[in-house]
Formats: sequence, structure tokens, C-alpha cells
Amino acid sequence: MNRPIRIALTKGRLEKDTVGLFEKLGFDCTAIHEKGRKLILPVPDANLEVVLAKANDVITYVEHGVCDMGVVGKDTIMEMKGKFFELVDLGFGRCKFALATKKGYDFYSGYGVKTIATKYPNVARSFFEKKGMDTEIIKIEGSVELAPLLELADGIVDIVETGTTLKENGLEVIEDVAPISARLIVNTVSLKLRRTEIDRLITLIEENL
Amino acid sequence: MKNYDLITPEGTKDYLFGECIVIRDIENTLVRLFKSHGYSEMITPGLEFYDVFNLNSRYFPQENLYKLTDSKGRLLVMRPDTTMPIARVVATRLRDAMLPLKLFYNQTVYRTEPALKGRSDEIVQTGIELIGSQLKMADLEVISTAVESLKSFGMEFSLEIGHIGIFKELVDRLEVSDKTKEKIRMLIETKNFPALNDLLDSLGNSGVTNALKSLPALFGGEEVFEKAEEIMPDENIKRLLDELREIYCDAAEICGNDGEITVDLGLVNKTDYYTGIIIKGYLQGHGEEVISGGRYDKLISEFGYDIPAVGFAVNINAVAKVIEKNGILPVMPKTDAVVYAEEGFEVTALKSAQELREQGLVVEIALFDDLETVRSYAKEKKIPKVVVINSDDREEEE
Repeated sequence: MNRPIRIALTKGRLEKDTVGLFEKLGFDCTAIHEKGRKLILPVPDANLEVVLAKANDVITYVEHGVCDMGVVGKDTIMEMKGKFFELVDLGFGRCKFALATKKGYDFYSGYGVKTIATKYPNVARSFFEKKGMDTEIIKIEGSVELAPLLELADGIVDIVETGTTLKENGLEVIEDVAPISARLIVNTVSLKLRRTEIDRLITLIEENL
Repeated sequence: MKNYDLITPEGTKDYLFGECIVIRDIENTLVRLFKSHGYSEMITPGLEFYDVFNLNSRYFPQENLYKLTDSKGRLLVMRPDTTMPIARVVATRLRDAMLPLKLFYNQTVYRTEPALKGRSDEIVQTGIELIGSQLKMADLEVISTAVESLKSFGMEFSLEIGHIGIFKELVDRLEVSDKTKEKIRMLIETKNFPALNDLLDSLGNSGVTNALKSLPALFGGEEVFEKAEEIMPDENIKRLLDELREIYCDAAEICGNDGEITVDLGLVNKTDYYTGIIIKGYLQGHGEEVISGGRYDKLISEFGYDIPAVGFAVNINAVAKVIEKNGILPVMPKTDAVVYAEEGFEVTALKSAQELREQGLVVEIALFDDLETVRSYAKEKKIPKVVVINSDDREEEE
């Protein structure tokens, strides 16, 4: 039983940051750099197999145990939930969820139920639920900033990195919802059945963060 | 409009042929095992009142239940679990029965799972409940039955043991709200070290917070106990730890080299259902536990009868999935002979088919008009013998 440990990486920036981390640990990541269109790539010297997937799929694969570990943003974890161990805060991919409105808009005034546009309906719902506030939530797929500008929504709950997009469109953050960073997640059974290998890898990662 | 007449609801499926054999084989093996330990079967209704599942110590979120109403408008649910119905029966009809009660069940439970996640809403659970004994021997009996169950699947397995009492003792020493306690539990359950450390740091730095911080990291083999020993703040908790260690060592001895027994002090399941040991069984190649159980000494008292209990359930569908994934093919039953009746000899044919069956053969009646079709049917289905009845005698062809 020497199947490599399979780790799913969120394609894009988190993938690059994780590969950077692997190289810092001295792993040979040539296969990932020369991946072409391949989606499963070996890191032979670490007995690892890297799987490249979209953020939500990283969670799905890890939950089902077809991938032992995964690197995914806290944003996706908060939206998707799921059953897995969330072991390490990798520290990279930092940004935040925030509530933003048109500049100068008094969001908490009046009795009317507010309308929120977001790509993350679960995050938005639980944020307002905690405040005991009824809101109408509208799921938007693309640029959420449009919704308040077109007067579809009173505010948006979205990921904010630098705030430039908001500023250029006359919006401003009125409240932080939650900080976000990349997390290392592990399948609940894999952690137990492949304890020594996963333990070794995690210790190595933690020492090099 | 009949849009849904050709498909089954999401989260359910039809099981055919080999799939059924795999499932029934597992069920039969377990049922035989449980009976050989002296457990008796119980069948509870598929429909129960919602109230049975809405207790203080065990509560199913209402969004995860299939609900309907009876003719009086009362809220019913499709049974999401069998332990609580058994607790209900024990507290009512079995109140005067001699203890301990050893019960087993083999039935379907229903829970709504999130859509499009590849999960089943309908699962067969086969399990035992040992009711009315607080002895360590009861815990051991249940653990050894769980080990035997895992062994019977013929695959690499691991049985994990924990003790909810350790967490409960620790967290009760913190002066925080129940909400915070639940948050700590959730962070330990998901082994979310960063968030757990932040939360506990904000509550000060004491022996208790330090022990809670390391709880999720305390899993593995016997070495875990040495580490735990050092950080547990007082004698009460050390006593629980010693109890668990004894059980762990005994379990490891029972298990031998067929599988692995491990311990996880960070096993802190949702709800207060469990009061003592917790067990989980894993098979290589399945992403979730296939066995889950533990001691629940306070559950039955919620139905008005205060007795302790311990038990576990096997997720039959999960085990079947692993068996199929590993390519272990079931032995399909073969037909030994097909009996063809010429016109006027139907009754004779049916009788001789029955005689052959009494000899232990699997015999089909041919349902074709001519012998040629029967022969090609037998060839196609690899049936070795065609029996032709055209007089009071029978004529056999190989």
C-alpha cells in the first residue's frame, strides 16, 4: 500500500503559492511546471500526487476521500462547509469578506428589508442571521459590484483584496465579514489511516511557513 | 404531466443483481455475528413521530429529515436513526425486561443530504445496542463485536476509540457560555488548530486551555496516552484517561494483527448523545467512517427510564461500495437446469421441476413455445441442462 498521498490544489494563485511552498521544502515540482493540460501530476520525491481543480471541487474530492488533502481558500470553506479537518492556515492568499455599499449610503437605516447581492449566498446569509437581520439575498455570478450600481441591491458581500474595484465604482466597505486565507484541509479517514506520512508533511509545511 | 415516472428521487437508487448480493452478504454475516453474541432483532417503524428525534441530548436538524403528517396533522418523520426508536421501546414496552438487553437491528434510515454531492439519503444500518450495563466489560464486548464486524469484511481496517468525557470535563472547567463551548467542540472536531488556538488564547492561559488546545493533536497509537498524561490538569481527567487506556490495550489485544486499533482524544461528535467511549471504524479506500458508535448513558432517560447503554451501527452501503471498488465479485447464483414442457405436459413439467429442486438444484421453467429457442436461451444464460417433458418420462439434454 504505497499509493502516493493525493493533494488537490485550487487552480490559479493558490496553486502557484503552494508549488512555491513545495519548492521551498525541496520537492521536485518539474511535472507541475510542465503540466500542459494534464490534471494529475506526480511529485515523485515526496511520494505526492498533485491534482488541479476548481476551489469547490477541491472540497468535494477531499470530502469523498479520493484526494487525501487539499489547499483551498477559507472563502470556499465558509460557503461550501463540509466534513473534513481544517489543519493549517497556510497564510498566503490573504484577503477578506466584506459588506460594501454605495459610498455614503446608510445601510442600517430604515425598516425595509435590505437586498444583498453576492456570489456567496451562504456566507451572506449566516452573516446577517447572526445579526438577527432579515435580508433578501440575490446570487450574482459575475461582477457583484454592478448590483448596487444598477440599484438591484442595497449592498454586496464579496471578497475584497485591495478595494480598488470598489473605489473605482463608487462603492466602499462598511463592515468586515471575515478574514480569508488559504487552508490545508485533510480527509477525516486519510488523516487516520495515513497518519505518519501526512504528519510528516504537515510538520514540514508548518516549519516552512 | 408525468415528468418523474422513469427516475428515482435524488439520493436514492435501485440496486440490481450483484449489488444486492453484496449488500445481503454483508447483512447476513453481521446478523449471524450479532446473533452468535446473543443479540435479538428488533424492527421499528419506518415512520415515527418527529418528537422521538427531537431530544435535548440528541437532536436532528429539521432540515435533514424527511417529514410528513399523519391523518390528524401530527408531524411524522422517516426514521433518520434507529438508536432513538430503540430507546423509546426500551423505556416503554421493555421497561420490566431483565437487564442487560442485547438488541440488534438491520434497517434503512433516511436523511436529506445536500443535493449533487454524491451522497445517499437512504442508508441501511446494521447495528447493536447493549442496554443496562455500565461495566467496562460492556464497552469491551461492544468493541470486540465491532472488531469482528470489521474483520468479516476481509479488508484492511482501523478501529478508533475516544472518550467524550475527557473533553466534557475539560470544557466544563472553563467559565464560558454554552455557545462558546459548542464552538470549541466544533473546532476540536474539525481539528481546526489555528482558530482553536485563537479562541482559547482569548480565554487565558491555563492548564485547561492548554489541554484543550492539544486535544485534536492527540491521536495515534499507545504513545498518545503518554503525551496526554503530561498535559491533563488533574486526577479526575487522568482517571478517565487510564480507563480509556485499559480499554485501548484490551482492544488491541483482541484485534491482534488483523487490523489496527487507534485512539483519538479529539473525537468529539456533535450533540451530547455520547457520554463515554466513542468508536469509529475505517476501511482503506472509503472517505468516511463505516462504523460509528459509543456509550450513551443519558439518552434513554429522556424517554423516562434511566439506564445506561452502548452500541454501534455499520453503514452497509458504504461497506458494499468499498467491496465493489476493490473488485471483490459476488458469487452469482447459477441456474442448473431449465425444464421445457411440450403441450399437454405442463403439470408434469412443474412437478418434475419441483423434484429436481428438492435435490438441491436451481431449476427454471422454460417460457418459450419451441425447444430450439429454449436451447439457445440455455446456451446464452450458460444453463448446463435442458429437461424436455413430452410424456410421463423426462428426457435430459446436457
